[in-house]
Amino acid sequence: MSLLGRLFNTRAHRDADLQAELAGHLEMDMRARVARGESPADARHHAQQDFGSTVTVREVTTDMWSGEHMHQIIQDFRHAVRSLARVPGFTAIAILTLALGIGANTAIFSVINGVILRPLPYPKPEQLVYINSQFPTLGFSQFWMDPVEFLEFRERNQSFQHVGAYTTGAVNVGTDASPQRVTSALVSAGFIETFGVAPVQGRAFTADETVPNSPLVGILSYELWQTAFGGHPVVGTQVQIDGVPRTIVGVMPRGFDVHDQGVKIWLPLRLDPAQTAQYRGSHYLYLIGRLKDGATLQRARSELETLLANWPAADGVVTGAVPGAPGFIHTPNNKLHRVQYAGLQADMVGSIGKALWILQAAVVVVLLIACANLANLLLMRAETRQKELALRAALGAGRGRLVRLFMSESLVLSVSGAVTGAALALVGLRTLVAAGSSSIPRADTITMDGTVFAFTMLLGVLCGLVFGLAPLLHLSTNSLGMLLREAGSRTTGIAARNKLRRALVVTEMALAVTLVIGAGLLLRSFWNLMNVDAGFDRGHLSTFSVALPTRVYTDSVKRVAFFDHLIGDISAVPGVQAAAVMSGLPPRRQVNANDTQFEGFTPKPNGVGPQANVDYYQYASPNYFSTMKIPIVQGRSFGPSDGPLSPPVLLINETTASIYYPNQSPIGRRIKPGGDTVWFTIVGVAKDVKQGGVDSKTGTELYIDFEQSPHAEGFGLANMNVVIRSTLDKATLAPALRKIVGGLDPTLPIVQYRGMDDVFAEAIARPRFLTNLLGVFATVALLLSAIGTYGVLAYTVTERRREIGIRMALGASTHGVLMMVLRQGLTLAVVGLAIGLGAAAALTRVASTLLFGVKPTDPLTFAAVGVFMLLVAAAASIIPARRATRVDPLVALRAD
Amino acid sequence: MAKAPALTRIELLQGTLDLIVLQSLRWGPQHGYGLVQLIRATSRGVLDVDAGSLYPALHRLERQRAVKAAWELSENRQRVRVYRLTPAGRKRLAVERSRWEQMAQAMSELFSPPSAPEKA
Repeated sequence: MSLLGRLFNTRAHRDADLQAELAGHLEMDMRARVARGESPADARHHAQQDFGSTVTVREVTTDMWSGEHMHQIIQDFRHAVRSLARVPGFTAIAILTLALGIGANTAIFSVINGVILRPLPYPKPEQLVYINSQFPTLGFSQFWMDPVEFLEFRERNQSFQHVGAYTTGAVNVGTDASPQRVTSALVSAGFIETFGVAPVQGRAFTADETVPNSPLVGILSYELWQTAFGGHPVVGTQVQIDGVPRTIVGVMPRGFDVHDQGVKIWLPLRLDPAQTAQYRGSHYLYLIGRLKDGATLQRARSELETLLANWPAADGVVTGAVPGAPGFIHTPNNKLHRVQYAGLQADMVGSIGKALWILQAAVVVVLLIACANLANLLLMRAETRQKELALRAALGAGRGRLVRLFMSESLVLSVSGAVTGAALALVGLRTLVAAGSSSIPRADTITMDGTVFAFTMLLGVLCGLVFGLAPLLHLSTNSLGMLLREAGSRTTGIAARNKLRRALVVTEMALAVTLVIGAGLLLRSFWNLMNVDAGFDRGHLSTFSVALPTRVYTDSVKRVAFFDHLIGDISAVPGVQAAAVMSGLPPRRQVNANDTQFEGFTPKPNGVGPQANVDYYQYASPNYFSTMKIPIVQGRSFGPSDGPLSPPVLLINETTASIYYPNQSPIGRRIKPGGDTVWFTIVGVAKDVKQGGVDSKTGTELYIDFEQSPHAEGFGLANMNVVIRSTLDKATLAPALRKIVGGLDPTLPIVQYRGMDDVFAEAIARPRFLTNLLGVFATVALLLSAIGTYGVLAYTVTERRREIGIRMALGASTHGVLMMVLRQGLTLAVVGLAIGLGAAAALTRVASTLLFGVKPTDPLTFAAVGVFMLLVAAAASIIPARRATRVDPLVALRAD
Repeated sequence: MAKAPALTRIELLQGTLDLIVLQSLRWGPQHGYGLVQLIRATSRGVLDVDAGSLYPALHRLERQRAVKAAWELSENRQRVRVYRLTPAGRKRLAVERSRWEQMAQAMSELFSPPSAPEKA
């Protein structure tokens, strides 16, 4: 620093000296000219003209001061900084353009780095495997495992050192007066050990805490310990969880979680190994395994095949028994109910991985456009500096020196751009993570770390090299001799240079078109998603959920009574039109896939075709359909006659009707929901309602009046959703709802109170996020390429002023000149457009999984983007074209 | 436009400018403007040294300690930076001059089988 300071200090001194010396020279020349009889003004002018650029002379001279090689590089950079400082407009535009490109890349790369590249925060994370099952014939490619399968798998597999199981839920933590609702996980013995992470306080669960009737214990997350218990010692104390006191035995380390579930409290999953028959078929467990040291996922998979082949026999299912026979599908085997492995991280990243790489490609395109723009800018700048270059070359600055000169300028620009870009990215990333936290996995690990910073700087330097190269190409096409010619001889080489510039603009256009088409397709998909008919009217609808403690509300009679009261009280609020209760909240909820018997229906023995299984069970209050405004397309809805004691009835949706009762009326047919129950009679068919997300096919669904739920087996009515149709504002309604719930049971919190529109927005949060991002990038690309087109045309017009002047002097009309320039701009645009459309047609299919209801080669999008891009190009061309028409022939001819 | 053709000037610039400056300073200390006039006059207008080439050359020679510079007052009381040859400069002039003469000799011998000069 001090060395540099000294260097600059003496330099400043010497520079002032040199300036005085050169000024002296000019003055002497001027005096001599005055003495020869020139007017003082003319003398000054001619002396200056003779001398040339004082600035350049000064720079070239100062070059001679320092050692040949020692300070050359520093000096090059100082030169670059100084000469850039003399053109602040150019420099600002260049740095800003780059900062946009690099900033966008940095932000997206930070996401990729945090989500995909950075390993999970567990020891040896590559050994962690997510184990799940498949029901190929039911159409479930990723399904949970049941407790027997877990116990058997843990026993029989050869590949894993630990296997743990968990399931998530929500519990009320704290005293009855102020319960806090948090995400909980029930975890098996060995679950915490699987992750290789030890509690920071206390211990993990022991084996005898994970069997029925064991003491009630729990482990807190670090975060809950801090927020709810202020970090005070808790291990060994009792805490109320869902109204039951439990002993806290440990606290997990900060940030410990699984699958991004946001688990705040860990409770033992209590399984009785003797109760296997009862557990069979209840798939609700996530399994996590840790591979043995040295084992690979691949080898584990091949071992799995053998395991699956032998599994039915090991369970006593007769080999050769008819597949499709009841029970067979619930024993893992290698056909109907497979077990499969996925790396835990790969599973968590899932489909967003592809989307992120597509976004990264998009921002690389933006950066390329920025670079092309800069290359053009530098190219034009190089041309205005012909004289300076000539001088430098004349003074023996070899090619190497000139190369360094350009390179140091572009590097100064690109590194400044990178630094500015990093700052932009920091801001952008914050916005991005805030907007996408619900749609990006591992969002909390997204930061700008050393890797990202290195990436940014590397990008900056690469850009510098790329766009610094353009003027160099130009240098190499011109011999030094040509450079040395007077600036007047500009006709030579112009064609070659213009070709390069136009190629750059065409490239920019093509890249921008590709991006805009991508964004257009996503936008159309998003539009389609927004307008999916979910099967009910979501206007003026709000919802919240209630979890009844099973300890107090011990049976479904008590639960129904509670909800009947709740509906009654809410409906009585002025401004509320209706209120209903149901078990699953559309448009997106977890699949049930419950075994269901259809009278007179036998699934094909080979497992092909429809199975005796229904995707969604909906337990609802009788007024559910009218509250949600779900049309009944056949038969009737639940009525007053369908009480707890009357014959059980149910409704099915259209999909179920068409699969199991094709071309016939299902009314009066019978179904046994959930295995071995009484027969329920179908009384109606409801319109299809989305349950698995707005973008998925509607599954099969059946509706049971919740008063009749005791007839169906095993489903609790403890966790229910309340929907309210009201013209009142959501916020206005809230206090009334809180009062009603509190009045019925003061220990119950109102959970997730929101408008149905918000529920929908959440269901399509990820597509919205991707569409927004790609939209922003496409807009930037579009702007940059428009600026590029404008820049090149503006420059060409300036360059051709003389020619235009002559044309006008010879009688060319204003209109003719305007059209000439416009045609030039549009020609570039059309070529770029053609290439871009071709590239888009080839590339968009990569993104087909991100699209909904629109083909990757959607002609409407392509046409619209085409027209739009032409308009943009015309807009970018019109200003230079108008300027061309204002060329004054006299002035133009006199110049040069 | 009144200047000599560009090519001539380059040839002069590369390699010979130092020699011209050193030789001109042999007549006595001189400032930059004076050197331009002197060179033009002594070469009868053939050698037209650009200011943009001269000053870098002067400063290069100064750094190589072939010339020495000092601020002085000119006859019309203007502060000027005056350059004078150092002993090292004299030595270098002698070396370069003999090298130049050898070169000129060689060139003229190369052209001596009489062939009509192509250009004026």
